[in-house]
Parts: sequence; structure tokens; C-alpha cells
Amino acid sequence: MKVHVFLLFILLFPILISAATGCDLNDPDADIKRLFPQSTGYKTAYLSLQKTGGSDALKRVEKSLGDKLSGTYETIDVPYSVYTVFKGKDVLGYVHGVNQKGQYGGLQVFLALDNRGVISNFYLQKLSSKDAKYFKDKKFTSQFKGLALVDFSTYNLATGKGSSKLNAIKDPATSPKSDFAAIMRAVKKNLSLMQEFVFKK
Amino acid sequence: MSAIITAQNLEKIYIRGSEKIVAVDKVSLSLEEGEFVSFVGPSGSGKTTLLHLLGCLDNPTSGSLSIGDISVFADNKSISEQKLTKIRRNNFGYIFQKFYLIPTLTVKENILLPYAFYKNPSANTTAEELAERLGLSHRLSHLPKELSGGEMQRVAIARALINKPNILLADEPTGNLDSKRSMEIAAILSELNREDGITIILVTHNPALAEVANTTVHLQDGKVIG
Amino acid sequence: MPSITGIAYKNLRRKRIRSILTIFGIALSTWVLVSLFGFNRGYEASLNNDIDNLGFQVLLTAKGCPYEAATLMLQGSKSLRYMPETVLDSLNQNAAVDKITPMLMQTVFDVNKGEEGGMVGYLGIDPETYPSMKPYLTFSSGAWFTDRDAKEAVLGYEVAELEQREVGDLMLIPEKEVEVTVVGIMKRSGTQDDGTIFMPYKALQTIFGVENQLTSVGIKVKQDVDINAYEEQLYSIPDVQVVSMAQVKNTISNLVSTAKVMVMSIAIIAILIAMVGVMNTILMSVLERYQEIGIMKSMGATTFHIFRLIWFETVILCALGGIIGSLFSIVMASLTETLIRYILPYAPSGALIRIDFMLAIKSIGIITIIGLLSGIYPAYRAAKIKPIEAIRSSEGEL
Repeated sequence: MKVHVFLLFILLFPILISAATGCDLNDPDADIKRLFPQSTGYKTAYLSLQKTGGSDALKRVEKSLGDKLSGTYETIDVPYSVYTVFKGKDVLGYVHGVNQKGQYGGLQVFLALDNRGVISNFYLQKLSSKDAKYFKDKKFTSQFKGLALVDFSTYNLATGKGSSKLNAIKDPATSPKSDFAAIMRAVKKNLSLMQEFVFKK
Repeated sequence: MSAIITAQNLEKIYIRGSEKIVAVDKVSLSLEEGEFVSFVGPSGSGKTTLLHLLGCLDNPTSGSLSIGDISVFADNKSISEQKLTKIRRNNFGYIFQKFYLIPTLTVKENILLPYAFYKNPSANTTAEELAERLGLSHRLSHLPKELSGGEMQRVAIARALINKPNILLADEPTGNLDSKRSMEIAAILSELNREDGITIILVTHNPALAEVANTTVHLQDGKVIG
Repeated sequence: MPSITGIAYKNLRRKRIRSILTIFGIALSTWVLVSLFGFNRGYEASLNNDIDNLGFQVLLTAKGCPYEAATLMLQGSKSLRYMPETVLDSLNQNAAVDKITPMLMQTVFDVNKGEEGGMVGYLGIDPETYPSMKPYLTFSSGAWFTDRDAKEAVLGYEVAELEQREVGDLMLIPEKEVEVTVVGIMKRSGTQDDGTIFMPYKALQTIFGVENQLTSVGIKVKQDVDINAYEEQLYSIPDVQVVSMAQVKNTISNLVSTAKVMVMSIAIIAILIAMVGVMNTILMSVLERYQEIGIMKSMGATTFHIFRLIWFETVILCALGGIIGSLFSIVMASLTETLIRYILPYAPSGALIRIDFMLAIKSIGIITIIGLLSGIYPAYRAAKIKPIEAIRSSEGEL
């Protein structure tokens, strides 16, 4: 019996660690239904800057972001999962997540975008923080609704200053400030990538 | 002159179904060294079978046969296959109507075929001399399919002579050749007999060829008739 | 001057396609054979290596306690059972013991993991004894903890990547709200350690409030000790269970033996097919050359000579096929490995197929012997040909 438990472990191990590749929704069926309650289905595409436009694409995204892409999950060949959400045959919008280094661990920031690229929902799939409950609170997440890449164009990642819409979003954390900055960068990165992957056309 | 082949009451019987065929019917003959004899007769007269018996290629049903002073067959018993092989190798050269050259080997290799099995360093020179003599020098590296019929038979003759036999057996050697080539072969055989003293037994139904021999033996229904 | 080998070789070239197909058939069966032998060796070695990489031959756990991180993650901390740390002293007194290392597993529920939350596991180890049991663990940056009580963590490769941690970064233990500093990140080892967060066990005891408790002890016994007998002794300690790696190895071997039988049957079938192929090719070639062989015999070739000639042809076919097959198996080893991994119920990490020069030579030898066996009948048939029959059959005259 105990031997079989050991075997179970060996067999399951690759599944347990597979979460480490890319940035996928943990439970796409349920997650997409929650982010787009009217949706009837979705398609998943695995896109990388390498595939869509090479180093030119990387440069465009870096310019839009206003920062270099140099982290573990930011190299040119990292695959991003872009979920296209349908209602019947019509495209309702998109769901896309990015990894970002946070204070105590990796952050996974997903955005639900309508078909014009405007944020309709904000979802922190992964966050290690003492203030996690504030970041996950609707009071915080709902502030991103209605924003689009254009609102972030003047946002300075280093100073945390930008348009009045963005200046209105305040850091809810009580202790260290770096998770807020990381989330803001993740959102801008997410939007910049989606511009390249989807809305550029 | 001593007898090189001595046959006494040599008989060969085949059983085909319930039929008993007497191919060679109690033939007795003696050949002297240096003789050139031709066996003639119609198809089925037993001339080829007799040739095979005398050449130790086939075992008689009864009778006795000696090659030189070695008894090959007597009292219904043949000497061992090994000894037969040795006698064939040391005494006989064979030429057949269909040449039987090995298609994958060159002319030279065909001539030297016996020495694939027994090494003989001097055979190389012998082969070249034979080729020279038979007008094959320019053909040594060719394959049999590149040769004319007459050339193929000359290769076969060279191969038969490579072991320096004292008896040459030729079974319809011109059967596949036109009359001009036939006469070439006849001239070669005649020369071998005259100049080298090789004993030759020739089987043919070509009267012109048979005339080259000193002696002609007529066969019919397995019997010598004259 | 012609030679028997030369005649044999030239004859094989005469029917080129037939010879190539036969060689191909032999090459395929050699491939199967070499891969099978290579697999038998490689699998055994990799399995042993995997088990040895666990670092200890015997794992002692509290009765009813899951002893691997994965099961723990699936069942949660409620299933944890403990044994008192004092067990270490009694273990150390046993003469059979070479080294022991205490371990403490802990899990917490992280509400912030996805929508529903998820388990996070920690493995508490002793920085003084654990590293020497797992010498294959190497750091890509940093090092082991400074002391047993430090609030520090060493991360397996996968964890570090997922959490985007570097040496000096902080981590947070959910629920406990305790900050831990990352002091080391491992290189990828291909084992379960890639997904593990290591912490000093004393620190873990303090953080989780389980002072002087352990979940398991890894035991390395001295080399000449009878493990089975030692295991029996261990059962005298109350409320423990003993997991021996030898046992695990046996179980896996048993599971795999079914697959081995299957592969072996395929190999035998392949070899039989190759044998029939060789026999057919050579026999056909003998029958086609009935007169040629007859003539050779009239030219003084003995039965033995002809037997050798035909056997040579078989040897050439088999040796060429064997060599090509062996080269093929070496080149294709990784593909074969993928195939085998797909078939097998459990495959250890590391090379499953180990092919070396000696193995290839051995296999070529075996194939050639098998070929020689299948060449006996055709060679016998050829050797038996009587010159007169061969000539007579073509001249059609009595």
C-alpha cells in the first residue's frame, strides 16, 4: 500500500510542477464564465513575441511599456495564453494574464478586455502579500474597469504618476509599497502585449 | 602408349516412373593417352551420358571404370566423393554447350575459378598464357555478358585447361555457335591435342566437327555400333 | 585470383534490391535487439540512480503519515502525524546506521492561490545532515541555510521560477504571516526536489508550533548491513512505518516486467522474421545458381567449399545488417526512448537506453550467429547439389 502512495507521487509529480510554465488560468472554464458571465465558449491561443513579430514586436512592446522586458517571464519566446471569449459566434472579448515579480513571490495578473481593448474585469490569480485581502478587494480591483492602454500611455512606472484617472488609484497596502507598483506594471505590460497580439490589426 | 581411360561393361540405367531407361548399355572401351575421339549419334543415343561417366561426373549403374591406374568404379562401388573431386581436379577439363561462365566474375576470374577453392600462385601466369593463346588477352577484365558466343566458349576452354588436365571432355562445344566460330573451336581442340598431347573426348552431332577427331565412335540406343 | 568471399560478395550485388531488402530486415531486427538490451541495462541503472538519489535507503515516518510532499499537498496538513525528535537518539545508537537526517513536513492553505486557494508545502530539513545525503543537489545561486533556526528558504528550480525568486528575495508563509529570506536556489535536478521549498526544520517547528516533532527520518545504513533485518528492528519503535527503497524498486521492476516481456516478444518476432528472410533470400539464390554451383563442383569445389560460399553470403548479409542496425539504434536512441517512455507505466529520469560499443558488437555477433543458423539449410542444399544433376537439368539430355 505505502509503495503505491510513493508511485502515485512519482506519477503526479510532473502534473504538480507543470503550473510553472506560462501564465494560464488555473480553471479556464470556471474563470472565464466568472469574468464574462454571458460567454458561451472560448478559444485558447499560445502566442509569443517571437512568433508574432520577432525583435520588432519586442521593441514596440517595450516602447509602449516604457521599460525593458528583462524578467524571467518576459523573454521574447515566453508563450502567453490569450483566451478569446465568444457569445455564440460573436467575440465578447479577451482574457490574458501576465507574470510579474512581487514582494513575496510571483504575481499573476489577468485582465478581461472587451473587444475594443477596454478593461472589463481584473483578476489577481496569484499573489503572496500580507495585504492580499486589500488587493483582492472589489474596492481595489473595480478601479481598473473602463481603463484602456491609452490611459496608461503617460503613466510613469518609476514615479507612479500618470493621468488623473490613474492617479486616483491608490495603493491599498499598509506595509511595503512594491506590490502596488508591480501590479501597475503588470497591467500596463498586459495591455501593451494585447495591443501587439490582438488590437494592432 | 598406356590406356588413360578404361571402361568395362559400363552401364547406366535410369528409372523414370515405371519405365526403365538404359542410357548406356554395357559399353567397353579403352582410350590411349593423346587420343582424340569423338562420340556421335542421334539425340538420346547416350553419348553425353557416356561422356559424363568417363569424366567421373556421374556414377555408372554397373561395370567398371579406371582413370590411369586408379579404379574409380568397380563391383558396384564408387570411390569416395572426395577422391572423385580430386581426380576431376587433377585429370579433367570440361567444356559444355552452354559455357556455364559465372556472370558476376570477369573473364580472368572465370578462367581461374578452380583456384577460388585451391590456392595456386602460378595459376595467374597460366591464365594469362592461356588467354594469350586463345586470343582473349584484351578481354580479361570483361564480364561474360560483354563477350560474343565464340569468346565465351574460348573462356570456357581456358577455364577447362587452367588445371593442366590430361583429358579434355567437350560436350557439344559448338552447339550454340555458328559454323565459322565452330570451326575456330575445332581448330583449337585439334591444336591442343596435337601440340599439347591432351586426350580429348568430343561429343557432337556435327559431322564436320567430328571429322577433326582421329577416331569416331558411333552410338545408338546406348550401344557402340562402330 | 577469385576467392570464395569475392564470389559470395559479387553474387549478392547481382540481386541488389533483394540483398538490400534482406539487409534492411536484419538491420531492423538488430535495432530492436540492441535497443532492448540497451533498455534492460539503462532502465535498471536509471531506476537505481533515481532511488539512490533519494539519498537514503530507508525512510521512517510516523504511522499513518504521508511521507512525500505530493501526498501532503493533496491531503493537507490535517493528515500529518508526528514522532518525537528523541527518536533520533535511539536511531543513532544502532550500529547499522551510517547517517540519519530528520525531516519535518508542513503545509498551509494559501487563500490567495487562484479563486479557491491551494496548498503550499514546506520541507524542514537539517542543514548539517541533509546536504551530504543528497550530494547531487547543486546550487545555481546561493547556498544552504546558515543555521537550524534561521528563517530562510532554499528553493527548487521550479519553485524559484514560478515565484520569480532570487537569492535575497523574501517569501511569505501564508496564514503564519512569517517572512522568510531566500538564501539559495537549486539547479534543475529532474527530481521531486525541483518543486520543493526547503527550510531549516527547527525554524519550521517554531513557526508552526510543533516543537520537538518530526514527520520522518531518512536513514542511510552502512554498506554491509542487511537492510531487511535492520527494517525489522525499526518496527520495534512504536507508531512508525518503514518504507524501504528496495521495496519501491521491486514494485516498479514488477510493473515494468510486463512491458519488458512485450518488448522481448517483439524482438523475438523481429528476429524470426529476419531469419526467415535470410533463409528465403539465400535459398532462392542457391536455386537460381543450381548450374553455376554444379560447375564449381565439377571444377573441383568440394561440398565444404560450396557450403562455405553460401555461408559467406549469409555472413555478409547479417554482418552488414547488424552493423547498420546497430548504428541506427545508436542514432535513434532518443526516439526509441520516447517510444518506450510512452509504453511504460513508470519511467525513471535519466537515460533509459544505454548503448555502448560492446553492446553493439555483442548484438552484431548475436545477429550474425542467428544468420549463420538460418544459412545452414540453404548452404546444405547447395552443397548437396551433384554436378551432373545441375548440368543435366539444363542440357535436358540423358
